[in-house]
Amino acid sequence: MANPVTATIRAYQMGFGDCFLLSFGYDDASARHILIDFGSTGMPDDTKVSLDAVAADIALQCGGALDIVVATHRHKDHISGFATGADGKGSGDVIRGLKPKRVIQPWTEAPDAPKGWKGPDGTKRANAFAAYQSSLENMHAVAQAVVDRLDRKDGFDPRWRLADRLRFVGEDNIKNLSAVKNLMTMAGAAKNNIFVYHGCVLDLSAILPNVTVHVLGPPTLQQSASIKTYAKSSDDYWLKARLLAALAATDNVSANKTSMLFPDLKSTDTFRKTKLPTEMRWVAERVDIAEQDQMLGIVTALDNVMNNTSVILLFEAGTKKLLFPGDAQLENWSYALQSDMADLLNDVDLYKVGHHGSLNATPKSMWKRFKKRGKTSTPERLKTVMSTMAGKHGGKNGAPTEVPRIPLVNELKADSTLFNTQDLKPTQLCQTITINLQ
Amino acid sequence: MTEIQPVRKLTIIAKDPGLRIGNDGPMVFAQVDVPAEILAPGPTGYRIKVVDYNATERRAYAARQSYQSGDILLDPFAPIEGEALTDRDYQVRVIGNPNFHAQNCYAIAMRTLGLFERALGRRVSWSSGGHQLHIVPHAFALANAFYSEPDRALMFGYFFDEEGKPIFTSLSHDVVAHETTHAVLDGLRSRYTEASGPDQAAFHEGFADIVAILSIFSLPEVVAAGLGITDKLPGVGEPLAFITEDKVTPAAIRDSILLGIGAEIGMATGAGRGALRQSVKLEPRPDILNDPDMAEAHSRGEVVVAAMAGAFVKMWTTRISHLGTFDGLGYNMTAVIEEGAKAAAQLLQMSIRAIDYCPPTDLDFGQFLAGLLTADRELVPDDSRFGYRELVRQSFGDFGIVPPPGQTDGDGCWPHFAASDALRYSRSNAEALTRDVDECFRFLWENRDALNITERGYTQVLSLDASLRIDPDGIPFRETICQYVQMGHFFGSELMAICKIDPLPEGFTTRTSADLFGGGVVVFDQYGRVKYHIGNGLIDGERQKRRLEYLRDNGQLRAQGGDERSRFANLHLARMGG
Repeated sequence: MANPVTATIRAYQMGFGDCFLLSFGYDDASARHILIDFGSTGMPDDTKVSLDAVAADIALQCGGALDIVVATHRHKDHISGFATGADGKGSGDVIRGLKPKRVIQPWTEAPDAPKGWKGPDGTKRANAFAAYQSSLENMHAVAQAVVDRLDRKDGFDPRWRLADRLRFVGEDNIKNLSAVKNLMTMAGAAKNNIFVYHGCVLDLSAILPNVTVHVLGPPTLQQSASIKTYAKSSDDYWLKARLLAALAATDNVSANKTSMLFPDLKSTDTFRKTKLPTEMRWVAERVDIAEQDQMLGIVTALDNVMNNTSVILLFEAGTKKLLFPGDAQLENWSYALQSDMADLLNDVDLYKVGHHGSLNATPKSMWKRFKKRGKTSTPERLKTVMSTMAGKHGGKNGAPTEVPRIPLVNELKADSTLFNTQDLKPTQLCQTITINLQ
Repeated sequence: MTEIQPVRKLTIIAKDPGLRIGNDGPMVFAQVDVPAEILAPGPTGYRIKVVDYNATERRAYAARQSYQSGDILLDPFAPIEGEALTDRDYQVRVIGNPNFHAQNCYAIAMRTLGLFERALGRRVSWSSGGHQLHIVPHAFALANAFYSEPDRALMFGYFFDEEGKPIFTSLSHDVVAHETTHAVLDGLRSRYTEASGPDQAAFHEGFADIVAILSIFSLPEVVAAGLGITDKLPGVGEPLAFITEDKVTPAAIRDSILLGIGAEIGMATGAGRGALRQSVKLEPRPDILNDPDMAEAHSRGEVVVAAMAGAFVKMWTTRISHLGTFDGLGYNMTAVIEEGAKAAAQLLQMSIRAIDYCPPTDLDFGQFLAGLLTADRELVPDDSRFGYRELVRQSFGDFGIVPPPGQTDGDGCWPHFAASDALRYSRSNAEALTRDVDECFRFLWENRDALNITERGYTQVLSLDASLRIDPDGIPFRETICQYVQMGHFFGSELMAICKIDPLPEGFTTRTSADLFGGGVVVFDQYGRVKYHIGNGLIDGERQKRRLEYLRDNGQLRAQGGDERSRFANLHLARMGG
């Protein structure tokens, strides 16, 4: 059986998004190609790169055949490239045409609870699974309603400084039906879609010989206490949030002459925002802002939940280990780091920086495990690869929520060889990293 | 000529819309006393300004009620002639009127503020510096309610149950009293909203629940309904009513809605899981605060509530047992309710006065307990009759909360200031010392060595408050509570050299910087002499190390200020979600 001798990682220019083509070269001159995510929420203004151009390059690099597609989680910035076009020429159509043999996704995407998946207890597995999925659907709907509200005339106070952030997070969380459907069917028979969870056995030996793929995340409901607690009560919460967000997004709620909340009130007993008595105005402005802040809080919370459904894969080939954690954040990592599998992280050679360089997607307790961190002269120094674009996500420059987080970037630069898509020139398609596996 | 009314009566929904007379009977309304004043539309009074603006609907509801006719103070939602508070038609009518919701908030907030002012014997300011706190009864269509200091406001949201019926958080006495208590506590101890150890944010939540729960017991009709009584309480001269023994066992009281928070919201959000919180049902365990689940502020706060509610149940049932029963009929119901009111009033007074004896920064539960015991000993030196203090101490001890070891005396109280002889009063103006913050600061600065106030930071007197008490002869006298804080910016090397934190917390280097806080309460007796000094030293390495490690583990080490609104909003939002 052939042995892998090189790993080539192409980190494509996605702006704010992820798209990595991981290619293993074998000693019999054959190669295997794995596409890990393909999505963007916005390209840099000056780039000449497009999703179509990236899809074409992927097709070129893999010689017209993909072995595996991994969609770490369902955020737009990870899957929008899988969307198909009405004319059959979308970037998703190109990927589909590469006929991947397997599609790997988190258990949260499975139509039914995957075999071996563990629910919160023995008796309620199916219910818990259904409730969790229904929460995810409701989260999409909340995100959609928030974006609709932003689009509604007078939906939000235009002076609110966080409107762009809300729109960005909202749009990233809207369900991308075309991409989701394409992922479900592009590998042919349903059995070729594999839904994974922490510690599950992922046997890809027939497709990817002599490469072991460890699944570190996401945890199942039974495995993660925080997800379990969340799942118990959240389905009802997100259903309610969905209804409220939808209500707030309708034109009628503010445009009607009468109040929807108190329909019996005469219109003369209400004041439109533009005609408030003087003594009400100061606080009314603030209530508007407070409502908007909370919507951002809700959408950020659901964004985190979605991020935490990320698949965390560790490829072990030859003497090297390559870690691809999607956008997994602390809650997802916590389980992996406390498990028996944590030791696998000690000698990681390449780390795909989690969540575009946000603070809590690279937990310190994980980063410290990487023994190959060190100054430039460190032998076999750790390589890191980050796909990001500053100013799109998170807080203002310097805020703990900024993405990428500057102190983290500085640490990555100091203690690893960092490949950053932000450093690509406008005409450059990707960063290319080659690792000798022998 | 009409005599001026000393107080105003206003109708409110008592406890929570989820409290019903009988299983599915009418809600419990009550008419409560609020300060007499001529109200402007809102209602707007001298401490509360209700603005009924709805951000989701982008419209406000006009306040159309008349609260006075000349000098006569009115309750516009009192039942009209021939109606009773329990009539369903009456209840439907008033609940359908947003002005009633506004009145409900106004009255409960004023009542809650009044509890504090009565217990402390002084006016309590809002921390914003303004005189009027805004209340927004239908702020937005969101399952949330919170206090926002920068907005000088309490904002109450609404949502819908499974049948599409609106659930108004502003109609829950529990929720309104809880949020008002956040605002009052922020006025008394403005630094308790800052990032600190695990207990401080939890204390804000727990304390707000304690006040919300205990403040109900002064309303007899509510207590009766909460105990499952469906009959009207007997008036003066009417025959006695009875309550059977099984309804007032410790278990029955723990199960009752009286010790829960937010019954209607809990039922609507949690698919029938009961009240939003029923802390009294927490099983006592000395190590409970170490549970990972207890890290979240509301959950952790529930431990203090459980300790206090446990003490209350014990107190009330002990007092009931002293009443004696009527053969086959049980207890005199009115007496049972009165005993509950007395026990609740005592605990509430202790709890509120305890704040005067709590350090102004980085509070932990043990310090609050010491404050409770000290406040009560100051007020009621002889605890022999009911043994309240021992009972409270025991109940807190069951949850692993003990007065700070080595810093408190045998009663669990703060000890009197020991180094009196070292203090120098001669450079202070005795008259101004307890009235003027600058004069008071001069005294503290002059005596910084004796008071162990370090020079390695910035020190400021935040407040000077009067604490009124009655001496054993029945004569009132005044003590003074001075609250000062200290702030300092330290690098890792200074944490080691000055605070003696060695080794530094994991992840810190000599170049890591951190903001430290400290401060204390100095209680001056009626002669202006230092009686207590209760403090958290700025350079107390052991305490600061614990705090820094906690902030590091919770990602708050670099937390920047300026987002005070989200502090309570996000906390409450998360809680509503699970």
